[in-house]
Amino acid sequence: MTEPDTVDATLRALLADVLGLGEDRAAALTEDSGLFGALPEFDSMAVATVLTEMEDRLGILIDDDEIDGEIFETYGNLLAFSLRKVTD
Amino acid sequence: MSEHHLRIAPTGTPRATILFVPPLFDEANRSRRTLVLAMRALAADGFTTLLPDLPGQNESLIPLEQVDLASWQSALADVAAPIDGPLIIAALRGGALIDHQANAAAWWRLAPVGGASLLRTLMRARVAADREAGLTSSLDSLQAEAATAPLLLAGNKLSPAMIAQLGGAEVQTVAPLRTVTLGSGADAIAGTPLWLRAEPGEDAAMAKAIAADIAAWSTTCGIS
Repeated sequence: MTEPDTVDATLRALLADVLGLGEDRAAALTEDSGLFGALPEFDSMAVATVLTEMEDRLGILIDDDEIDGEIFETYGNLLAFSLRKVTD
Repeated sequence: MSEHHLRIAPTGTPRATILFVPPLFDEANRSRRTLVLAMRALAADGFTTLLPDLPGQNESLIPLEQVDLASWQSALADVAAPIDGPLIIAALRGGALIDHQANAAAWWRLAPVGGASLLRTLMRARVAADREAGLTSSLDSLQAEAATAPLLLAGNKLSPAMIAQLGGAEVQTVAPLRTVTLGSGADAIAGTPLWLRAEPGEDAAMAKAIAADIAAWSTTCGIS
């Protein structure tokens, strides 16, 4: 689960599941794609669901104080955070 | 008090009754349409299907803050008790945490989840909403608050008892039991985890797969 490609694929599938993006929209996400504030589906409940699913699917634990608004600003930020967590 | 329940029955004598235990809280709303499609498919296949409201949910007159997992477990046992003929209990997600006190001929569970994981998500939604509102809260501060007073989590006012029970709730052993997950393989059905979805959706193919899997399990258990 530590391969960058695996983390990327896991994260895209997870966002597709939680936000109902469909495979095409999930595959089209780029580093600069906006998430929280940009996608109407991405509300506070979706943020919470994404965090819990990230823990389950990536086998990581996320502490409260690690989470700030920036993580969910773009797909690139969320991916970078996830990659950092799986290699910790 | 008796709660409302949705009942879809076949014409003629049913093969058996399937009592569905819905996912908990928001996850129930997100899954409901697909669940009801599965009930229709089962009814067409000769099964009576029931989807009860849990006390404090949907049309219930009981305030949510007055119930906990223990009262949901006994409410389901009360729903199951008067049912004539063989009964199969089919629980989804957090429903699998409250399905074991009822008497049944067999159990079926889809994607069961621990209570701690559900509680963590609800608390995180509150933390995220607080942050948007310029308030500071944390899982620890909410947990401390919940020890003495009801806590509002994603629109659900939960009692200290509910939060304490949820935090420690695990699925209990029942038999005979078939547990299926989403995915591919012998113990999985293909579909989407609609219970995670920010917007309600439906998956007609998954509903058919749920119905077919439960009907096959009924046959395996020698029920019909």
